[in-house]
Amino acid sequence: MDQEAKIKLSHQIMIISGIFSLFVASLLLFNFWHMYKNDPVESKALKAMVEQLSSDPGNEELITEIRNYDLLARKAYFTSVWQVNTGSYLLLFGGLIFALALRINTDLRKKITKPEGSNEKLFPARIKAHRWLLVSGGVIIALSLWAGFGSKNYLKSYSPQEIAALPDEGIEVVQIVEESSPNAIDPETIPETNEAQNEELTEQPESPANPDARVNKIHFGFEDFRKNHNTFRGPFGQGISFHKNIPTNWDATSGKNIRWKVATSKPGYNSPVIWNDKIFISGADKTTRMVSCFNRNNGQLIWEHEVKDIPGSPATPPKTTDDTGLAAPTMAVDGYFVYAIFGTGDIIAFDLDGKRIWARNIGVPVNHYGHSSSLMVWKNKLIVQYDTGKGGRMLALNTETGEAVWDIKRDNLISWSSPVLADVKGKIQIITSADPNVAGYDIETGKELWKIACMMGEVAPSPGYYNGMVYATNEYAILAAIDPSVPSILWENDEYLAEVSSPVAANGILIVATSYGVLVAYDAMTGDKYWEHEFSNGFYSSPMIADGKVYIIDMGGITHIISADKTGKIIGQPELGEDGFALPAFAEGRIYLRTNTSLYCIEEE
Amino acid sequence: MKKILSRIFLLLLFSFVFFAAQSQQRFPKPEFESGYEQPTPTTPEPRSAGMEWADVFVLLAVLSMASWLAIKKRSRKGMIWLSLFTLIYFGFYREGCICSIGSIQNVALAFFDSGYKLSLTVLAFFLLPLIFALFFGRTFCAGACPLGAIQDLIVINPVSIPSWVRKTLDFFPYVYLGFAILFAATGTDFIICRYDPFVGIFRMNAPYIMILLGVAFLFLGMFFARPYCRVFCPYGVLLNWMSKFSKWHMTISPAECIKCKLCEPSCPFDAIEIPVNEKERTESSVRKNLKRFSFYLVLIPVWILAGGFALSKAHVFLSRANPTVYLAEILITHPELKTDTENLDIQTFLESGKSMQELVEEATLIRNKFRRGGWYLGGFLGLVLGIMIMNQFTMRKQEIYEPHKGNCFSCARCIDYCPVEKKK
Repeated sequence: MDQEAKIKLSHQIMIISGIFSLFVASLLLFNFWHMYKNDPVESKALKAMVEQLSSDPGNEELITEIRNYDLLARKAYFTSVWQVNTGSYLLLFGGLIFALALRINTDLRKKITKPEGSNEKLFPARIKAHRWLLVSGGVIIALSLWAGFGSKNYLKSYSPQEIAALPDEGIEVVQIVEESSPNAIDPETIPETNEAQNEELTEQPESPANPDARVNKIHFGFEDFRKNHNTFRGPFGQGISFHKNIPTNWDATSGKNIRWKVATSKPGYNSPVIWNDKIFISGADKTTRMVSCFNRNNGQLIWEHEVKDIPGSPATPPKTTDDTGLAAPTMAVDGYFVYAIFGTGDIIAFDLDGKRIWARNIGVPVNHYGHSSSLMVWKNKLIVQYDTGKGGRMLALNTETGEAVWDIKRDNLISWSSPVLADVKGKIQIITSADPNVAGYDIETGKELWKIACMMGEVAPSPGYYNGMVYATNEYAILAAIDPSVPSILWENDEYLAEVSSPVAANGILIVATSYGVLVAYDAMTGDKYWEHEFSNGFYSSPMIADGKVYIIDMGGITHIISADKTGKIIGQPELGEDGFALPAFAEGRIYLRTNTSLYCIEEE
Repeated sequence: MKKILSRIFLLLLFSFVFFAAQSQQRFPKPEFESGYEQPTPTTPEPRSAGMEWADVFVLLAVLSMASWLAIKKRSRKGMIWLSLFTLIYFGFYREGCICSIGSIQNVALAFFDSGYKLSLTVLAFFLLPLIFALFFGRTFCAGACPLGAIQDLIVINPVSIPSWVRKTLDFFPYVYLGFAILFAATGTDFIICRYDPFVGIFRMNAPYIMILLGVAFLFLGMFFARPYCRVFCPYGVLLNWMSKFSKWHMTISPAECIKCKLCEPSCPFDAIEIPVNEKERTESSVRKNLKRFSFYLVLIPVWILAGGFALSKAHVFLSRANPTVYLAEILITHPELKTDTENLDIQTFLESGKSMQELVEEATLIRNKFRRGGWYLGGFLGLVLGIMIMNQFTMRKQEIYEPHKGNCFSCARCIDYCPVEKKK
């Protein structure tokens, strides 16, 4: 065979093997596309059937159908895998033949050229080489030093004592009293007050000047809470504010009715809480957690403290999703101290002047979004709903020392909702909502008083309480009106279900806001629908009722103000110009709104 | 145009191999509820000792054949066929394991850990190519290494790169070798095996990133011949040292070189020593070089100390590659993970009955090993770098065309270019 014939033959082999390989490659590509589009693991039909089964677990016919479908999906999948494997080998074979033919063809076509020798100058090349070697060595040394100085040796920060205290639970309470002063209070010596006493207490100083005064302090009651905005969703967390003359019109862009606006140092989805002239927020990023106190009259920062040096606090914070972060829970204030909890499990108490009182870590939460349940406070107890991946849990901490007054396990899964306090027949109950139970607890002992299994899924909305009734909802579950005295569900509805936003009831109506932008009102006693509005932005924030109106801020930063009655008349839709997730706080004719970057005070001129 | 098309085609080809590998094990195991018991997983039996020795025998035969083909027979064609055999046997049949390159780690671990027993066959795989290199040059690279073979067969249009780039890149195999020994000696990882770019292709299965790396190496290898061998291969460092002293190294010309320059473009690895232009050796240049040589000679201890200090300083960072250290740190920084039932490492530790204290102590010991190892590694790299820099200012007399004994892979390409006949 002469040279030309060899070139021709190798060329033909190249073309044939190339076409063959491209054909196989195309088939493989189609196979991949088909597998991607029809991923049996993500089959919608299968998921729908499984969901159906969860509501009808005894349906044998459905079980057989699911098994058959599952088998079919697996068969399809493994057939595809076989095709991919076989195709890969064929492609490899074709590719090798092609490469060989290409190489032979290239070699045969090579022409002899006149050798010209190297033009490279020896010495300049070596000078260049030595420089680059110097650079290489320098880079390696610099990188090593950078890695060395930038790496913390966590093995040295290991403390055997800490872990020894928690061998089985993994991580548990490492409690400290930051200021172990001789003035530490025996909670039993604190006198409880009645409503009559509360009336007299409203003029008391917001913080005792002398720590000794705390020993004999009298706890503020509900009447004092009404005059402030001390917890998530206002007093007792019920979503009702008792302040009047609340603004209905503002515009953040033009500054209309914006009394002041200040930048916050750290982001956070928590809502502001207020006690007298002070307003408090918390914030956190991956490295720092912060508590800030502002003068609510002029926005001036009064104090701001970093939350750190807490034993048991993780060196690296747990992972959270961007829409939760480490500072989602709202703080609580009781007139003496202000309390904050973070997604790390750290809880800290300051007095209203910013003096750190105590801090502790109650265990890093196993929570795939991040901890978001807010604090409640009543008398000498700080209530922490701490439902994590390890199961349900709730604690009452002594507000003076941070020690657990009671710490109970709850019969439910992880949740993101906050507890609500309610005066039920003269006794304060903690009401919670999680999968599967909506339940009530005695605040003094933590004893479960009642429960009703009606929730499911990842429960984030907190319950509502009005006129002796509890309202709970969650997406994929139901909206339930519960009479806790039986307990029983008086009425239920599944037309509009909230994903994050909590229901609120007042004036005989119940308001529910969905994450897809529907705001709906029902008769609180019968469940009859009064009105509904659909807005372009969804709601993660919860509705508050104040001054006879519903205030709710949507995810686009628009506050929808609607009359809290059977008409549902839209009164105003003022804008912030920033995304909104937190709830408004109200005080003396003003609204306080918090975004991820700013804190606003709104007051009509 | 044809070249571009063919290159695109090859890229496509290997991309699909990558997809094929990625598609494995995607489907979760079914959850049976009807009394069916999942079969207990079993560990495959290791290769029998007889077969292991058979591998050693094959290696010995291939090395002998390669040496004969390069030095005696002087046949490039023969070498190609031998490479193909090696690729099929040690590559696709033995799936890239056992290999002499990876055996460095077994030897290092056995040297530093008395509890690790080194098998004789592994030792043979480590020593045989070195012994052959000491007598016949790097004939292992030419015909007995599957990694070399797969790259060699794909060399299509190699380009010559400037000598300063080559000389700079010559440093990196030392870095890889040093780190491979450090990681193996501390019982951390066999990084040569873990990051072998071609083993995924041999096995038709690997993490997608490794398949992608292999494809990238092959694609690059079409123009920059044998990139892994020249820039990374840690075993190449040892072979280079041995080969420099080889007694019967392959020659380009079977008799006296006539300096016809025909062989000059023949080597895709730029491993041919070219006669030095004597005009460049002026008196002033020699004096300047001597000054620089002396300066960098004095600087060698500084390099050793600087390297040792820097690498030992990085011991905290480097030791995180060790699973024990990593586990201890993750449990200290993220104690909540103890409840993560899907984290097998953590669950295995918890079930082992070992206390956290013991784990931390063990991790601290390993970290200390890294600190000491960092000093040795940094000192070694500093020494190598110092010598390499110093060598840039030495100049040997070079009058004929001949292979660079250290860098030449003995592939026998250049032989076909030489017009000189062997004297009868």
